[in-house]
Formats: sequence, structure tokens, C-alpha cells
Amino acid sequence: MTEQRKDILDMLAAGKITAEEAEQLIAALERDHAPATASHDARPKGKVKYLRVVVDATDNGEPSRVNVRVPLQLLRAGVRLAALVPPQALVKANASLSDSGVPIDLTQLKPEQLEALVEHLDEVTVEVDSPDATVRVFCE
Amino acid sequence: MPQLVTVKVSRPDRRPIRFWIPVLPLALVLFPVVVLVVLAAIVACVVFRIGVVRALGAAWRVISALPGARFDIEHCRTAVLVAIR
Repeated sequence: MTEQRKDILDMLAAGKITAEEAEQLIAALERDHAPATASHDARPKGKVKYLRVVVDATDNGEPSRVNVRVPLQLLRAGVRLAALVPPQALVKANASLSDSGVPIDLTQLKPEQLEALVEHLDEVTVEVDSPDATVRVFCE
Repeated sequence: MPQLVTVKVSRPDRRPIRFWIPVLPLALVLFPVVVLVVLAAIVACVVFRIGVVRALGAAWRVISALPGARFDIEHCRTAVLVAIR
């Protein structure tokens, strides 16, 4: 039994979710599991080196394109650098973010969590399609 | 560590401008400025009670991870490319 399936069953046992919700979650888990395994086989870990952000947009009828390639190693180094930010600066940043309508508590972000996030970025592909713009974020 | 930074600027009705900036020779020429920046960073670390060695190590990691980065922005017929090798 996988850890995620166990969590779902625990939530069902604790009465936090209904049997139908648990069934839906387990079905979603099984759906996600197959492609994830396939992608692991197709793209072995360690081969991915860059995070790519590609934006194609039209601004007042004029085409715009942003194509950014950032080494994942740079993200890891950035996370280590960000871990050095003093707590008082984080509190000020939290206040500014909150004023801007983005209530994120940066003090809750731990470096090891961010590193884990960067580690698993190679499995992430984000595609946003809108009439005016297309955004693709992926690793290669 | 980055060896070469390529900057290309293309504008409509003008010839594209391309710069190849060798990082090491430039760093050697700007060595006094680099030393001042490092000293300022050390003072800032002491003021804000951040480990100087950790901070310098992290900054060095960022610099050495830069090769391979590429930023390519096009808007209308203007384009800017910055590539670090």
C-alpha cells in the first residue's frame, strides 16, 4: 500500500472525507501513477539540466516572445542563498506581500522544502493556453 | 564559473548589436571594484548577523551555476538575448 493511499484511508477512517471522496481520490491516484511511472522510464533522473519558460503572446496585435533557460543548479544555489535571508527581512517581506494581496508567510518556507521542490521540478510541465498568450514551463 | 556572456540587441531598422563579454578578463580589470563589493558584502553579513563564509559560499555557488542560462526576449521587432556560457 502506498503512503498516499494510506493517507486517504486514514482520512476516511477519521471521518474527514466521505467514502465517495475517498474513492475519487484513490481513482485519481491510480490515474496519476501510471503516467508518472512511464515518464520516469522515458526521462531518467539526472538528465534534466534546465528549467525552460516559453511565453508566446500578442500585445496589441504585436507578437511577443520570452524564452528563458535557467540551469536547475542555479535554482538550487538560489535556494541556498535565499536561506540566508534574515528573519526580520522575511517579516518585512511578509507584510509587503500581504499589503499587495499575496498573503504568503515566507518564514514557513524551509530551505529543505524548497530544495525538494527543485529536485522534483524535472517532472513538472505547466502549459497555459489563453487567446492572447501561451505559457509553457518545463524541464529539459 | 561563467566564461563568456553574449548580449545581442536587435532593433527595427538598425543593425543588430552583439557583444561578447569575456568574464575572467573583465573581472581582472574590475578587480578593485570586486574587492570593494566583497568587503561591502562582508560588512552587510556582519551587520545582519549572517554567516560570512556561508553567504560567500552561497554567492559563489550562484555565480558558478550561471553557465547555461539564456534569456531571450522579443517584443514587436525588438529582441534582446543574453546568454551565459
